[in-house]
Amino acid sequence: MSEYKIRKGKEIAFTISITILTFLGILPLFHIIATVFVNGLPVITKESFTFLTGTFSNGGIGPAIAGTFILIFLSSLIGLPVALLVGVYAYEYPNSIIGKATETLLQIMLEFPTILVGVFAMSIIAIPMGTYSAFAGAFALAIILMPYVAVYTQEAMRQIPFTYREASFGLGLSRIKVIFRVLVPLSKRGILTGVLIGMAKVAGETAPLLFTIGGLYESYPVSVTKPVGAVPLLIYTLVQSPSKGNHRMAWGASLILLLIFLLIFIPIRVSLKEVKL
Amino acid sequence: MNKYAIETKDLKIYYGRKEIIKGINLRIPKHTIFAIMGPSGCGKSTLLRAFNRLLELNKDARIEGEVLVFGKNIYAHNVNPINVRREIGMVFQYPNPFPHLTIYDNVALGLKLNNLVKNKDEMNKRVRWALEKASLWEEVKDRLWRYPACLSGGQKQRLVIARTLALKPKILLMDEPTANIDPVGTRNIEKLLFELKKDYTIVLVTHKPAQAARTSDYVGFLYLGKIIEVGQTKNVFKKPKNELTKKYVTGILV
Repeated sequence: MSEYKIRKGKEIAFTISITILTFLGILPLFHIIATVFVNGLPVITKESFTFLTGTFSNGGIGPAIAGTFILIFLSSLIGLPVALLVGVYAYEYPNSIIGKATETLLQIMLEFPTILVGVFAMSIIAIPMGTYSAFAGAFALAIILMPYVAVYTQEAMRQIPFTYREASFGLGLSRIKVIFRVLVPLSKRGILTGVLIGMAKVAGETAPLLFTIGGLYESYPVSVTKPVGAVPLLIYTLVQSPSKGNHRMAWGASLILLLIFLLIFIPIRVSLKEVKL
Repeated sequence: MNKYAIETKDLKIYYGRKEIIKGINLRIPKHTIFAIMGPSGCGKSTLLRAFNRLLELNKDARIEGEVLVFGKNIYAHNVNPINVRREIGMVFQYPNPFPHLTIYDNVALGLKLNNLVKNKDEMNKRVRWALEKASLWEEVKDRLWRYPACLSGGQKQRLVIARTLALKPKILLMDEPTANIDPVGTRNIEKLLFELKKDYTIVLVTHKPAQAARTSDYVGFLYLGKIIEVGQTKNVFKKPKNELTKKYVTGILV
């Protein structure tokens, strides 16, 4: 056999094995999505709109969906402004002591056990207030969202070539204007990706909600200082119960959660089309 | 009134401990093109950035000596670098219009953020004026609301020139403005330099002696942080006094 054929054969073998390994790697993801659809779709179609809007006794998870959206919204409201400022700070002062500390702390917070964040929110908000509340849950979620958005913001801004920074200063702009009126808009797609990833992350979080939001499934939430429900927490509760009906509801709720998650993720794929430099 | 646009007095620039510019005395007359030529890494860009205090973006850089712009030391304590940079515009080696802004907004940005125009009408006029000055208006007037990605390298560079001119600076610093531009674009920009000379003083940094010879009135040869020779361009190229200059302009020293 010629040397060329041996090389060609090696290449084919390598390509095939890597394809198989890749496929094995992503198989669980597709299995999860497929299982959730197979088990969840019949539940939703059977109840149709009632499942999306009705209260729990009517066979729906409306309050939980509303709760999840309220929590995403509130936690973004609390977390995003802080996250943006922290990210910008870490970008602008990478060599200062606080800047270095910020970067390290962000990395730790990214991987911090979320249940501890829940315990923290409970002890400083839920207990003093004397009640579970949407606010306590949103506060815990904001802490989880913050490092994601901050790290993405810092990373997106770091990608900006130095020449644009020089150009902005060259126009006689102050540092504040250079950062917030030129460089932040210039990296907005990267920052937006971080925002969406952070939101997708908190949409599916369960642990920090265990001790903070209480749960509310028989009526729609009316106040941020009162308990609310959330889809992931509802799934957790339902699966623990022995009732077959509750398990079916959990599958339906899982599909809804998956759809909310995908709803947030699709814009990420679209926004990843970066600005041409 | 001072005769010189820029005058340096024993200017020294350090990066950390390393001395990059080793005591330079230059006088750049008004309404001329003054070329600073020299091989790569001789400190041309560093020197240029000292003229509008853009060098301060680099935390390691330290400056000694004086830079007088129209007779006023720009490194005096009461001088705000923001005002210096507004008065002394800069064009960069890599054509860097802001990719997220339209052609119009690229020119308008400095005016808008510095609150230099009162209303939309004045803004339109100023943007058009700047684009005309940069001889780009005819080529982009139908696509002001498109992004600079649709422009050629030479057009992008003229857009950057328009962006700078919009602020009505008195001096233009150009850091190898044609280094990344094709020959046609280069010719257009060099033609533009002659036009702009009437209203502005231009300091042009280049590593190509030929470009300095084509465009400049005065030229300084910078080598390893020192000005080896300076004078009228035709004299420096025809009768270089220094052996190093002779080698450089004839292409032996690179």
